[in-house]
Amino acid sequence: MKKIEAIIQPFKLEPVKEALKSIGIDGMTITEVRGHGRQKGHKEVYRGQEYNVDLLPKMKIELVIADARLDEVLRALTAAARTGKIGDGKVFIYDVAEAIRIRNDDRGEAAL
Amino acid sequence: MMIAEKQLFDPVRALEERTSAVDTQVLQAWQAHMAPTAASAALLAVGGYGRRQLFPYSDVDLLLLFATDRAAGALKEPISHFLQELWDSGLRISHSVRTPAECAELHDQNVELSISLLDQRFLTGGRPLYDALLEKLPRFVHSQRDSLVRHLSQMTRERHAQHNRTFYHLEPNVKEAPGGLRDLQLVFWLNQIAATTPKALAAPAPVPELNEARRFLFGLRGYLHYHARRDSNLLSFDAQEWIADQLGVADPAALMREYFRAARSIDRSATRVLETEEARASSLFAQFRDRLARLSNADFTVAREKIYFRSPQQLDTDPELLLRLMEFIARHGVRLSLEAEQQLAARLDEARAHFARPHPVWPAIRAVLSLPHAPLALRIAHETGVLAALFPEMASIDCLVIRDFYHRYTVDEHTLVAIQTLTQLRDSKDPAAAPYKALVSEIDQPGMLAFALLFHDTGKGSPGEGHIDASLCIAQRAMERIQMPAPEQQTVRLLIRCHLELSAAMNSRDPFDPATAQYLAHKVGTVENLKCLALATYADISAVNPTAMTAWRAGQLWQLYMLTYNELTRELDTERIAGAESPERARFIQGFPTRYLRTHSEAEIDSHMRLEEQSRSSGVAVQVEKARGVYRLTLVTADRPFLFASIAGALSSFALNILKAEAFANRLGTVLDTFVFSDPLRTLELNPSEADRLRITVERAVLGRVDVKHLLRSRPHVAPPSRKSRIAPAVHIDNEASQTATLIQVVAEDRPGLLYDIASAISSRGASIDVVLIDTEAHKAIDVFYVTAGGRKLDAPKQQEIQQALMHVAQAVSPVRA
Repeated sequence: MKKIEAIIQPFKLEPVKEALKSIGIDGMTITEVRGHGRQKGHKEVYRGQEYNVDLLPKMKIELVIADARLDEVLRALTAAARTGKIGDGKVFIYDVAEAIRIRNDDRGEAAL
Repeated sequence: MMIAEKQLFDPVRALEERTSAVDTQVLQAWQAHMAPTAASAALLAVGGYGRRQLFPYSDVDLLLLFATDRAAGALKEPISHFLQELWDSGLRISHSVRTPAECAELHDQNVELSISLLDQRFLTGGRPLYDALLEKLPRFVHSQRDSLVRHLSQMTRERHAQHNRTFYHLEPNVKEAPGGLRDLQLVFWLNQIAATTPKALAAPAPVPELNEARRFLFGLRGYLHYHARRDSNLLSFDAQEWIADQLGVADPAALMREYFRAARSIDRSATRVLETEEARASSLFAQFRDRLARLSNADFTVAREKIYFRSPQQLDTDPELLLRLMEFIARHGVRLSLEAEQQLAARLDEARAHFARPHPVWPAIRAVLSLPHAPLALRIAHETGVLAALFPEMASIDCLVIRDFYHRYTVDEHTLVAIQTLTQLRDSKDPAAAPYKALVSEIDQPGMLAFALLFHDTGKGSPGEGHIDASLCIAQRAMERIQMPAPEQQTVRLLIRCHLELSAAMNSRDPFDPATAQYLAHKVGTVENLKCLALATYADISAVNPTAMTAWRAGQLWQLYMLTYNELTRELDTERIAGAESPERARFIQGFPTRYLRTHSEAEIDSHMRLEEQSRSSGVAVQVEKARGVYRLTLVTADRPFLFASIAGALSSFALNILKAEAFANRLGTVLDTFVFSDPLRTLELNPSEADRLRITVERAVLGRVDVKHLLRSRPHVAPPSRKSRIAPAVHIDNEASQTATLIQVVAEDRPGLLYDIASAISSRGASIDVVLIDTEAHKAIDVFYVTAGGRKLDAPKQQEIQQALMHVAQAVSPVRA
C-alpha cells in the first residue's frame, strides 16, 4: 500500500477530487495548510504599502491506495492539479506498513 | 419498565407513567434492603424524577437523607445493596447522601444539588427527617435567592456559550441548547425561587404560553430516547427523519420549523425571566436603572432596563413608531418590556397593512441598519413579528432549514448572524480579521450593505434551482415599496447578484492568473462595491457555522480582494479617461485618471459637474458637507502653482485634520480636489458660521487673495497625541512606475500642517502636482504624489533636491516653514 500526500493549489481541489472520483477513489483527507516551496512568498502592494504574503494558502490531500493503483492515481492527480506555473505543488509517496478499519478490524488493502 | 411506543403520542402522560413504574421498583428495592432502618433514613426523588418527568432513558436521581453522617456510615452495606439492585434492574441511578443541614447550605461547587431540591419529592423512609428538611429548605432558598439566581444565570450562560448562544442549530440538542428543555425548566425554577417565602417553598407555577412548546419538546425527547435506546438528546438528521416518519410528517424540514418555533418561544421567556431576576439580584441594579432611565424620550420610557411605550395607542395612528422603536433599540441596545411586546403584538395587523403600501421609509431603515446595535434591533424585530410586518418577504425564510453539512443555522438566523458579524468586526481583536475591520470603517454606506445582507438569501424560500434570481426579485419588491433611490437599489442588486462570486473564485480560480482579478474587477466595477462585496463575503462565510471562517480562509479572501483592488486602481495614471456617454461629461472627465470613475458614484460625478459649472463664473466653487462624523471639502477651479498647498494650508489654519485627499486635473486644466478632514476642536460643529468662513477662506486662498503663510501663523495649536512608538519617516521616489510622471511617496508621523508642508516643498521647487492620494492610518500618513516639471518626469538633480526637502519635512515634529 502507498500513502500519497499532495500539496496543491486551493482552486485545484475540486478538479482533483473529480479526477480521483472518476477512477473510483472516494476516500481522502483534506487539510487547509499554508506554506511555500521554491515559489517563496511574494509581496503585494496595497494602497502604497507592501503587504507580505510569506506563506501561501494551499490544500493538503492525503490518501492511501493499493500498490497496483499508484501510477493511475498519480497520473489523474497531477494532470488535474497542473497549471504549468510555479506554485502548482508537490506529491510525496510513502510505503504503508498496515491499514486497519476500526469498525470491523479489516486489515491490509481490504481496509482501504 | 418500557412504555409502549404508541403511548408516546401523549408525552406528558408517558413521562408520568414511567415515573410511577420506577417508583414501584424503587420502593420494592427499599423495602427489601432498607426497611429495617426505616426511621433513620428518608428517600427522596429529585431532579426530573422528582418532577415526575422521567424520560425513557433518563437518569433516576435519588437523595438519601440521614440525620447525621455517622447514621449514614452505619448503613453503608444495605445502601449499597439497595442501589445495586436498582442498577442491575437496568435503571441508571445517580444518588447522593446528605443530612438535612447539608441540604440547607450553599456549596459553590455543587449548586446543582440546591437546585435539584426545588423538585424534591418524598418517596419513603423516616418522615421526621423529611419534615426537618422541609422546615429548613424554604428559609434557605429565600435567604440565598440572590446567590442561587446568580449561579443559575452563570451556569446558563456557560451552557449557552457551548451552543454559540443560539437556538438555531440544524442538529440541536433538545435538552441543553438555548430554547431547550433545560431553559424551559429554568423558567420554572426562577419563578419558584422568586415566589418562595421563609415559611413555604413555592410549587412550580404553570406557564400557559409555554404549554405547547413544552409538549412538543417532551415528545421529541421521548422519541429521541427510543430512537437511540439511550439518554441521547441530539436531534440529528437521522433522528429527524425517523421522528418525522413516526409522526407521519412528510418533510423533516417541517418538523424542524416547528422545533425552532418552540425553541424560540422558550428562549424568549427564559431570557426575559433570567434578565429580570438577574437585575433584581444585582446590587448594582439601582445605579444601572438610573443610567438607562435617562435614555427615555417623547416616544419611549426606559425603566428597569426595558423599553415601554409612552402611549401605545399611538401605534394605531402612527405605525412608523415601530421604525423609531427599532432605531431606539439599535442606538441604545436596550430590550423591550413584556408589556410593550404585548401591546405591539396586538397592533401588528395595522402595521402590516400600513407597510404593505409604498412609503418613503428607506432613510429610517438605513439609520437603523447603520447603528451599533442594529443586529439586536433586527433580532427583536424578527422575534416580535415587526420585521415580517415591514418586509413580508422575510416570512419565506422564517425558521427555514437548509439541510447540508456546512450550514449550522436556519436561513433567517444565518442572515442575522451575518449582519452581526459585520457589527462585531468593529471591535474585533482577531489578527486575521484586522484587514476587514479596517474595511468596515472605510465603507460609505454600512446600512446599505446590511440591507443587501438581509435579503441575500431570501430566495432560498422559493422553489427551483439557485436562489440568487429569486432573492433579487424579492429584494426589488421591497426596495420599491420603501422607495429606495435608484442608485442605492443598483448597488444592493449588485451585492446580492455577486454575493457568491468571491467565494466561488476562492475555490475555483487561480488568484495569480490576471484573468481572475480582471473578471472580478469587471463584475464589481468600483472600489466601493469591491469593499462592500469583500465584507459581505466575509460575513456570509462566517455565518455558515462558527468555525467556517478560518484564518486560512480570511487570508485567501484578502488576497483576492487585494488583487482585485489593485486591478481596479492599476490604471491610476497610465490610463486616462478618454470618453464618456455625453459630450458635457466627456468635457469634464477627459484626462482624469481611470481611477476617478472607479472611486466615484454617478451621483458624485453629477455633483462634481455642477460644481464645475458654478466655478466658471467665479473662478472657483467649493462645497463643504458633513457625513459620518467627518467633513468633505470638494473644490473645482483652474490649475495653478501652489494650488494644492494653499488649500491644505487653509484647512490647517482652522486646526482641521486632513485624513484623505485626492487631486485630479482634466485635459482642459480644470482641477478637482477632494479633502476629507476631521474637526478635532469641534470648531465647525459648535460655530455654524465657521463653515461659511472656511469656504470663503479656501476660495480666497485658491484665488490668491489671502496669504496662506499669514493664516497659518494665527493657527490654534493642537497637541499631537501621545504614543509609544514613533513612525520612521520615509521618502520614496519612483521614476519607473508611471509613463508620464514621477511618483513620490512620503510616509510620516501625522501632524497638523503636514500636508501643507509637503505640498509646499514640492511646489516651491518648481514641480507641478498632477495627482494626489493621501491616506492616514492611525497616526501614520501615507501620501502619494504624481509630480511633473515642465510636463515631464523629474530629472535626477530635481529628484534629489525634492527628496532632501521632503525628508526634512517628514522628520520634523512641528510645522516647517519652507
